[in-house]
Amino acid sequence: MKQHARIRLVVIYVSAAVLMIGTVGPFLWLVSSSFQYERQLLSRPPQWLPNPVVLDSYREIFEGALLGEESGVPYQSRIFLRSFGNSFLVAGSVAAIAVMAGAYAAYPLARLDFRGRSTLLFGILASRLIPGLSLAIPIVLVARQIGMSDRIITLVFINLSFILPYVIWLLQSYFKSIPMELEDAGRIDGCSRLQVVNRIILPLALPGLTSAAILAFMLSWGEFLFALLLAETPASYTSTVIVSLFATDVDVNYVSIITAGVISVIPPICFALIFQRFIISGLLSGSLKG
Amino acid sequence: MQADTAGPRKEMSQGMLAVLFSAPAVLIIASTILVPFGIAVFLSLHRWNLKRPGREKFIGLENYIDWLGDSDFWGPLQTTITFAIGSVVVILVVSLLVALLLNEEFPGRGVLRAMLLIPWAIPSVVNALLWKWLLNPQYGLVNAVALELGIITEYQNVLGSMPSVMIWLIIAYAWIHIPLATLLLLSGLQTIPDDIYESAIVDGAGIWQRFAFITFPLLRPMLSIVIIFEMIFALKVFDIIFVLTAGGPANATNVLGWQIYTETFRKLDFGAGSSIAMLLGAITLGLAIIFYVFLDRGRQVE
Repeated sequence: MKQHARIRLVVIYVSAAVLMIGTVGPFLWLVSSSFQYERQLLSRPPQWLPNPVVLDSYREIFEGALLGEESGVPYQSRIFLRSFGNSFLVAGSVAAIAVMAGAYAAYPLARLDFRGRSTLLFGILASRLIPGLSLAIPIVLVARQIGMSDRIITLVFINLSFILPYVIWLLQSYFKSIPMELEDAGRIDGCSRLQVVNRIILPLALPGLTSAAILAFMLSWGEFLFALLLAETPASYTSTVIVSLFATDVDVNYVSIITAGVISVIPPICFALIFQRFIISGLLSGSLKG
Repeated sequence: MQADTAGPRKEMSQGMLAVLFSAPAVLIIASTILVPFGIAVFLSLHRWNLKRPGREKFIGLENYIDWLGDSDFWGPLQTTITFAIGSVVVILVVSLLVALLLNEEFPGRGVLRAMLLIPWAIPSVVNALLWKWLLNPQYGLVNAVALELGIITEYQNVLGSMPSVMIWLIIAYAWIHIPLATLLLLSGLQTIPDDIYESAIVDGAGIWQRFAFITFPLLRPMLSIVIIFEMIFALKVFDIIFVLTAGGPANATNVLGWQIYTETFRKLDFGAGSSIAMLLGAITLGLAIIFYVFLDRGRQVE
């Protein structure tokens, strides 16, 4: 039996090591590459760890943002920080609005009894089945027609519509887990429905709201298709658009490209690690309880 | 506060409340999904090319009929299905193995589960950039490691030829999709009570038998969910194609998503683009329904 337990542990740790390398390895290689000189990157065999640690590509991005054309750095590097800010603006607004609008939409679905409730819920979820690409064509056409393309607010609005169904689904399942008695007590004390939501449900649902906000932020941060199609000038580029411009441009050196990639994953990865409990519970309740 | 002291007042009906509460969200969703969907249907029934303004015309189903007789539809469709099946199989197999591992109790399990969130958090475009670098024909790490291990004798341009480009595209795509599938399967595994396994062990069931007769059947509902989700996602793949292969080499990775993009935003033929996008939507929906019915019936039979 002891022999058996030992074999089990060996199998587990060998698989765990393989998994660890497979999950974190590629990402760490990207980080390591971003701290190297271009000529070191192009060496064979590759240099695993940066030696020395080179910050040039990071400095390039900050200098480019401050000095503009004078800095002499590539165009993508110069506008990268601005697009990074745009990403924050879009994802932050989307998270805030999605949770607010989503919470009020989720409450009736979780607690009220009205005709068409299941139709409403089904309709909200089914809207996600339509591929973004088929909606992209009319959205881009209309946005250009009414002068709304190339604006941050348009991106916020569009991201919202894709993220809201998800947030609503997650929150309504969370609301259902809040004991009905608490709500009844409030009703007996004379609270209106709106007050019940604002004073009882929302404070109690704070963990659920946090999960929803983080997931909304991360989904919006990674959005690419609409950011690409609606952006015409750096004013509305998001970081994913810049990364794609970098990645498909053959003239830029590898270190700059890689550094842009690393910087644009810092926010989502930090979020993922800091809020892992919220994220995992959100992911599971969002897609589990059917 | 005033409302509190106003005494008993007439309550709105629950239906009215539901309308008021959900109005902002529903309006946002409707205006950016339902309305565009209507316009997309409208465009798909017209000749509508931005390169030839003033010649828009209603042509009924002509765009659709043209596509159905065109190898520019069937080729990408075949590529899309190859990609989708490959991705779903890879994601399913790997995430099931990882979930089985994480379902065991051992020190360090929590750290491992947290690390899974790293690939999940990486945006698809950055993921494409990452793999473009890993697979670089001159300086890529994958080449270096394979050479070191003696698998290859010289650096390969895996993104430059078939079938390696499809294989690596699937691996790169699967890499960020495996974590979520793993977490879902893991949560499914954790709902299986331990005593079932214990009594099976008492009855002399081996590892393989326990998997085949306990784990797999009980995990089946969750497996169905993962298959349907991943299938829907994989059919509309676009981001990674844009950065990693741009449909190439020689159309080898020209999936429907890429075909729609080039048709609409490079050739500026919005009518043709809309109609092929509708076809993709219909295929996705159809497959989702078929899978749902098929997998669901399988569950009921048991």
